[in-house]
Amino acid sequence: MAPSWLQNVTYACFGLSYLLAWLLEWGAWLWPSGDRLCRWGALGFGLAGLVAHTVFLIVRHPTPAVPDGALLLLAWVLALFYVYGVLHQAGRAWALFLLPVIIGLVVLAGLVARLEPAALRDTVPAWITGQRFWGALHGTLILLASVGISVSFVASLMYLLQARRLRKKIDPGRVLPLLSLERLELLNRRAIAVAFPLLTAGLLLGLILWPADPGSQHEWLSVKVLSTGALWLVFGVLVYLRYGTHLPPRRLAWLSMAAFALLLVALMAAHPFAPGGDTP
Amino acid sequence: MNLRAIGCNVTSAPVEVRERLAFAPSLLPRALAELNARYGAEAVILGTCNRVEIYLARPEEEAPLHAPLLAEFLSELHGLPADTILPHLYEYADADAVRHLFRVASGLDSVVLGEGQIAGQVKEAYEMARQAGSTGPLLNSLFPAALRVAKRVRTETGIGRGHASVSSAAVDFLLTVFDTFTDKTVLVIGAGKMGRLTLQHIQQLQPARTLVTNRNRDKAIQRATEFGGQFIPWEQLDEALIQADIVLSTTGAPEPIVSRQRFDEKVRYQRSGRPLVIFDMAVPRDFDPAIHDGETVILFNVDDLTRVANQALAQRRKHVPAAEAIISQEVRQFVLDWNRRKDGPIIGRLTAEVDRLREAIVAPLLQRFNGKLSEADKAYIEGAFRLFQNRLLHGPIAALQEASRLGQGQTLREAIRKLFGLNDS
Repeated sequence: MAPSWLQNVTYACFGLSYLLAWLLEWGAWLWPSGDRLCRWGALGFGLAGLVAHTVFLIVRHPTPAVPDGALLLLAWVLALFYVYGVLHQAGRAWALFLLPVIIGLVVLAGLVARLEPAALRDTVPAWITGQRFWGALHGTLILLASVGISVSFVASLMYLLQARRLRKKIDPGRVLPLLSLERLELLNRRAIAVAFPLLTAGLLLGLILWPADPGSQHEWLSVKVLSTGALWLVFGVLVYLRYGTHLPPRRLAWLSMAAFALLLVALMAAHPFAPGGDTP
Repeated sequence: MNLRAIGCNVTSAPVEVRERLAFAPSLLPRALAELNARYGAEAVILGTCNRVEIYLARPEEEAPLHAPLLAEFLSELHGLPADTILPHLYEYADADAVRHLFRVASGLDSVVLGEGQIAGQVKEAYEMARQAGSTGPLLNSLFPAALRVAKRVRTETGIGRGHASVSSAAVDFLLTVFDTFTDKTVLVIGAGKMGRLTLQHIQQLQPARTLVTNRNRDKAIQRATEFGGQFIPWEQLDEALIQADIVLSTTGAPEPIVSRQRFDEKVRYQRSGRPLVIFDMAVPRDFDPAIHDGETVILFNVDDLTRVANQALAQRRKHVPAAEAIISQEVRQFVLDWNRRKDGPIIGRLTAEVDRLREAIVAPLLQRFNGKLSEADKAYIEGAFRLFQNRLLHGPIAALQEASRLGQGQTLREAIRKLFGLNDS
């Protein structure tokens, strides 16, 4: 049993820490003389948020099978990426673009948790909550694919902004420094290349396990199934366009962003394995 | 402080004079040694393409060096009449010399406002003088301080933000497109002199190879040899454009050599979406501006780069007051610290001398009352004498520190030395 004060860690604790870290990252850019102070402050709040986030996950151990759990776990992995990026000098832009995604996921998780029937958590089949190996593997694969999709989204967003600046020939010295088009394209390509097989394997595993679970509602037209299927299709198209044709990277970036939107829908939708889960 | 900064720069002397006064690397150690030996001065010589400056520091009790004397020195060294040199020299003394160096190192005195190279050149000049053994206490404090101030100015203001020259703006744009250059191909079209500096900047990024093509075969081969590149026949321009990642075009053609139609038909689709950055430095332009799409083909002409450079310069000018404020604060602090440092030894000697006198009086006094005084009485008497000493010295020390703050400490230091009979031993 965790100490009672740890039970008091809420969404607000780490959500606000991430928000302060983001504001301080902006402060470092807008206020050059306080650059160092702001960046250290941002890292401090970012780490504090990550610690609170970790404590929350340990104490409440939300399952990835319910929407808020999936969103929180994804936000947590992305927060690790954020800290890694800052410590490895990936540049200010990385933090400025990734933190809003993390904050957004935490906010969504909070909203979904309020709307979600409390009973749902208790009725999720044991195998999917990680108590059995294959269920845990299914969840892990989908989670890692989600991380890849999120990274691809952030890289795409930065790519589109950088391409817009170049199209308008805006002086790079006067605007927020971003990674080069080449690096962003590479980041996007790698994220897609990693996420697609993980997503495919995770979904296949789910498809195999689902019919075998007698307690599940086999609702093939649930929002979760449809959005996940659409996500997989978009990713398939992305992989084909990236490697099979020479579609301009800008269009690939837009598709990556669409994939992220589908991911959010899929994560927010209740799991069809869960009794009482969503039906269209 | 007995410091002088004497020299000339792009505003005070024409290039014909500056190039005659420039110190070749082989001449520098001899010049520094000569300044040391002849004038007993600490010396640093700062030479860039826009300035030649000599920083000289002598002991305070000695007469300062002035521009006419240095003009004679430079005349001997460079074989130029002193009368020709002197009108172009400026001279800054003491705190003004400190301010001048701080401004120079921060790029406030540069032709391209806020340029960052100058700090490196100041560091190089100082290191060379230090290795030659021509620096001493003052310059060893001054130059590191100047480098620190330059860093502070660049960090705390936007004086170094953006790229205020065409070639650096071009490189900055390249860095927003490409991450690595060791696998990139640069194509130079034409043999014109325009864009030569830009090419030098691009070559510093160490691209994998440089291709050179021109209508005139001989000129192209000559330029390829000059840049360590590979000659490509003019007829293979389209193939070269397919291979290239960066293009620098400088022909003198009266009309565009690459139209949009030609580019779309023979180049764009064969490149498989790889980004191509084109710097069209020619006037009239060599590339049809319509081929720019901002993603796979990014085309900049001279006007684009000049506009960016001018915008950056205008932005930098806004940060000059903030930079000057930092420099003023740092100059005050440096002068204050230096003067305190100069006061330290004399205050130390004065205190030690009065300590000695006090001991000489108190010890026999306590001896005389030996056995009649308690320990508390002895401590009281010693404390009273120490208090007297402190009150006695407070006036002269405070006056000395105040005079030093105003840069007039030397006279008072001399007076104290004489009044209290302090000698250097």
